[in-house]
Amino acid sequence: MISLNINQKDYQVDADPDMPLLWAIRDLAGLTGTKFGCGVAQCGACVVHLNGEAVRSCVTKVSRAAGQKIVTIEGLSQNNDHRLQIAWNEANVPQCGYCHSGQIMSAAVLLRENPNPTDEDIDMAMSGNICRCGTYLRIRKAIHLAAEMQRKESSSR
Amino acid sequence: MAIEQISRRSFIKTTGTAGLALWLGLSAKGSTRKTTNIATTKNFSPFILVEDNGSITIYNIKPEMGQGTFQSVPAVIAEEFEVSLGQVSIKNTSGEPEFGRGQRAGGSASIRTGYNDYRKIGAAARTVFIAAAANRWKVSPDNCYADNGKVFNNTDKRSFTYGELVEDAAKLDLPKEPKLKDPKDFKIVGKMSHRPDIPLKTCGKAQFGIDVQVPGMVYASVERCPVIGGTLKSFDASEALKMPGVLKVVGAERIVGNYRYTGVAVIANSWWAAMQARKKLQIDWDFKGFDNFSSEDYEEHLRSLASEEGLVDKNIGDITSVSVSPQNTVEALYETPMVAHSPMEPMNAVAHVQGDKLEIWTSTQVPSSVTGNSPNELPKLMGFAPENVQMHNMFVGGGFGRRLYLDYMTEAVNIAKQYDKPVKLIWSREDTTQCGPFRPMTFSKLSGGFSGDGKLVTFTHKVISPSLSESARPNFDKTKVDGSMVEGIGEQDYQVPNLKTSYVRADYHVPLAAWRSVTSSTLAFAHECFIDELAHKAGKDPLDFRMSLLASDSDTARIFRKLSEVSNWDQPVGERRGRGVGQWKFFAGQCAQAVEVTHKPDGTIKIDKVYAVIDLGVAVNPDNVANQTEGAVVMALTAATKPAITFEQGRVMQHNFYDNTMVRINEMPQVEVHILTGEGKIKGVGEPGLPPFAPALANAIFAATGKRIRKMPFELKV
Amino acid sequence: MKHHPKTKTHFLPKRTAIIIVALLAAVGLMSFELTGKHDSGKIIVVKDSVGSVAAFRQVYKVLMSPRCMNCHPAGDIPLQGDDNHLHTMSPRRGPDGTGMYAMKCSNCHQPANTPGLHTPPGNPKWHLPPADMKMVFQGRTPHELAKQIMDPDRNGHKSMDQLIAHASDTLVTGAWHPGAGRTLPPMSYKAFKKAWITWLTKGAYAPPGK
Repeated sequence: MISLNINQKDYQVDADPDMPLLWAIRDLAGLTGTKFGCGVAQCGACVVHLNGEAVRSCVTKVSRAAGQKIVTIEGLSQNNDHRLQIAWNEANVPQCGYCHSGQIMSAAVLLRENPNPTDEDIDMAMSGNICRCGTYLRIRKAIHLAAEMQRKESSSR
Repeated sequence: MAIEQISRRSFIKTTGTAGLALWLGLSAKGSTRKTTNIATTKNFSPFILVEDNGSITIYNIKPEMGQGTFQSVPAVIAEEFEVSLGQVSIKNTSGEPEFGRGQRAGGSASIRTGYNDYRKIGAAARTVFIAAAANRWKVSPDNCYADNGKVFNNTDKRSFTYGELVEDAAKLDLPKEPKLKDPKDFKIVGKMSHRPDIPLKTCGKAQFGIDVQVPGMVYASVERCPVIGGTLKSFDASEALKMPGVLKVVGAERIVGNYRYTGVAVIANSWWAAMQARKKLQIDWDFKGFDNFSSEDYEEHLRSLASEEGLVDKNIGDITSVSVSPQNTVEALYETPMVAHSPMEPMNAVAHVQGDKLEIWTSTQVPSSVTGNSPNELPKLMGFAPENVQMHNMFVGGGFGRRLYLDYMTEAVNIAKQYDKPVKLIWSREDTTQCGPFRPMTFSKLSGGFSGDGKLVTFTHKVISPSLSESARPNFDKTKVDGSMVEGIGEQDYQVPNLKTSYVRADYHVPLAAWRSVTSSTLAFAHECFIDELAHKAGKDPLDFRMSLLASDSDTARIFRKLSEVSNWDQPVGERRGRGVGQWKFFAGQCAQAVEVTHKPDGTIKIDKVYAVIDLGVAVNPDNVANQTEGAVVMALTAATKPAITFEQGRVMQHNFYDNTMVRINEMPQVEVHILTGEGKIKGVGEPGLPPFAPALANAIFAATGKRIRKMPFELKV
Repeated sequence: MKHHPKTKTHFLPKRTAIIIVALLAAVGLMSFELTGKHDSGKIIVVKDSVGSVAAFRQVYKVLMSPRCMNCHPAGDIPLQGDDNHLHTMSPRRGPDGTGMYAMKCSNCHQPANTPGLHTPPGNPKWHLPPADMKMVFQGRTPHELAKQIMDPDRNGHKSMDQLIAHASDTLVTGAWHPGAGRTLPPMSYKAFKKAWITWLTKGAYAPPGK
């Protein structure tokens, strides 16, 4: 049994220590918001936060994550109201939507580390996430929107 | 609520908590249900469900794969029914016969072919609710109006909710030709509105096929012959069966159009375990000689076929009657490759076989074919009675034509037939990249001839390619032109007095598929680049030359006028820069694009800006149209400049996103989308943005560098 | 912005970083052949420009092999593959060399190689040289690279001691365990280490030229 803390909840999972974290999250913890896209860290559909970093769960062994703090798209906010989620809705970003859990989880690290990202910063942070539907212009727009919200919130504090 | 509870009458007492409910709609062909009095067009059967507790459900029959039908189809119904989308529940249908045979998404058809039907459905429903209220108030229906799910009395503003009127409304006949709203009164259609599926997609709640979890479910992964066309001789699973979690190893057939392939499936208690064990399988394949096949050889074969006469498709005027001097003639051969669809959600299905019954959960573009009765639909293919097949269609994580095919379901069902629990089959990314079906390559031989006074008098376009129809359907007639392989060529508005189009079919053994915008995705590249070559020969501006071939009241001329305006075509683009144009008119609709590029000192081509003008007639959600068109540009850019699917020794040489690369955000050009509405017929959205891009880009590169590009994919470097 | 601690660097005075002890006794030469250290623990340099340059030519072959050069790129994006193409998803070096934002090296590169073809190779400290000390290999001539490695301002402020120790760094030794499907450097690790130490201890001469 391996102990995983996902979205501030403890799970005991019966997994081979070599099993990728992705499958433990999806099939053992039953949290299917995190997606399988490529299995080799190429597409970013499986991005979750491991101690705050945007790791690719498809190549991260469950043993690396044991006892660490894992956050998935389901745990990014309580009510789908992380400023990125709000911005994603505002800018009508997704089409099929399959890649966007990973897109949002990647963007969240960008915004935490750079509250005022330029287009170039966004490209640097997001070029690991493939969107086959091609919603990239809207991803950029939504990240700018969220950054603006974040700045307004902090200036009104 | 189960669909089979619908009674012969429209008004039913349900067993659940809903109480009284009214189903309204159109049924397929000839209306077998008493309630469906509207003369129906072909395939549509959308529904509205109103319950006496006031809840309203609109059923969406067009699978949501990112194109926005989860909003657009219900939006048109809601518009006429006078309810807001915020007050209705939307449910995707899953191939239930009650919803008709039109439960399929493809060909950019959901709105362009269904718009008027959806309006009638909503309007007919509104009419009976107004009549029910008018009866209660004993006033004329003309003195009542509906708004926001209520009927109002115009005189004293009393109102009833639709829920309160269910019982009365159910007794009334639906009008055959209900009065439709004046489009100027539209509150939803044409207005920017947020898609209801998006909130589900930002918090991980949207359920795709791959997310389905069924109690007791096991997992499967299939090893298939690395050489397409090879067959299974034998396998030894003893090592695989020793791996932890492995439950069973079975042979499993997969049916793709006319092709049948047998692979070896590992069934395990997790997909990861199945994948690990799959590597331990010892399999003896018979490559059947296909291991000698290479794309390079096949391309050479297609080139050699370009000299054949082929089958004539269109023949206008008489190409042989005009004598054009060689110096006034332009000829070129254009080449395009195979590509994979590569949706982000890999192929998958959960199948549960119990005796003669099948339950299946998946994401597909064609729910109707999962429960249909035709020989090439899932029940018959798999040996089930259609009524014994229950399917659950989920959100589709990318279709692009790939999920028009049932092959992954046939494989899942064949595995499930050999195991007594629900089996979730997941294809790896490598499986999804390598197993096909693929978009076919097309080669195009073109020629154009000018008269002595500089008029274009002859034009020929010969397509050389394998055949989509031959791959997909039995009893293909080789003596006839496969219309899907010359798609759109005969539909262009350009007027040339002597025009001939023809087709040379090439034998092939690789399964083929429609890919977003089908053959237009390759033919437009050849056709519209060649038009550019003719413009160059004529010494004219590429857009002026095109306009000179068009009637001024044609769709294409109208679209070009807008494109010229928004792209400032009459302004010079500057040093080391170039601008190109492309358009394509085909079954799905029409879009024209202008692309601006810069030729940088290091030789690379930077795409500065893409202007797109899409002609629609009506745009249900304009912002979603823009999103679709932006996405079409990305997909076209990927197909034009990223590696294709190629074969060596019979094997696909691309595996995953590291060698089947996709355009990423750092390569994304600016795209400005303009939508034309109000004129012309209703056209599609999802595909038309794709075909014009590659030719517009190649033409822009020619304008910037003088290098003519006649082969896809090409490098963004000159 | 989150601040990442710098990778280990030592600031030693220029030029004094290399301890030169002239030692002519043949017996001494034998004992430091593989470690470059005399029994006393001190590094013994015996100047031999011909032997040093010859050793560096071997070293250079390894440093310019994809396994080494791919993480010592000229730009801020690492390279991949035997053709040294730009890393497909364009991760950036970042100030400390560990990547940026959602694209930090260790988000994909695990403590150990991920099994399978075309999966991320691993190391617990997978990173590029930091932005203020890029240690570029790509495009460097043998002369340039040798000079660069011996220049504490451009070698990560490494002393002779540290340069020798660097040959045993797991990021260096990892080049010989690169993960499935990747070509190895053009000589064995043992041969490389020997050439590296020989080059340094024979005076770290740069091959002539530019």
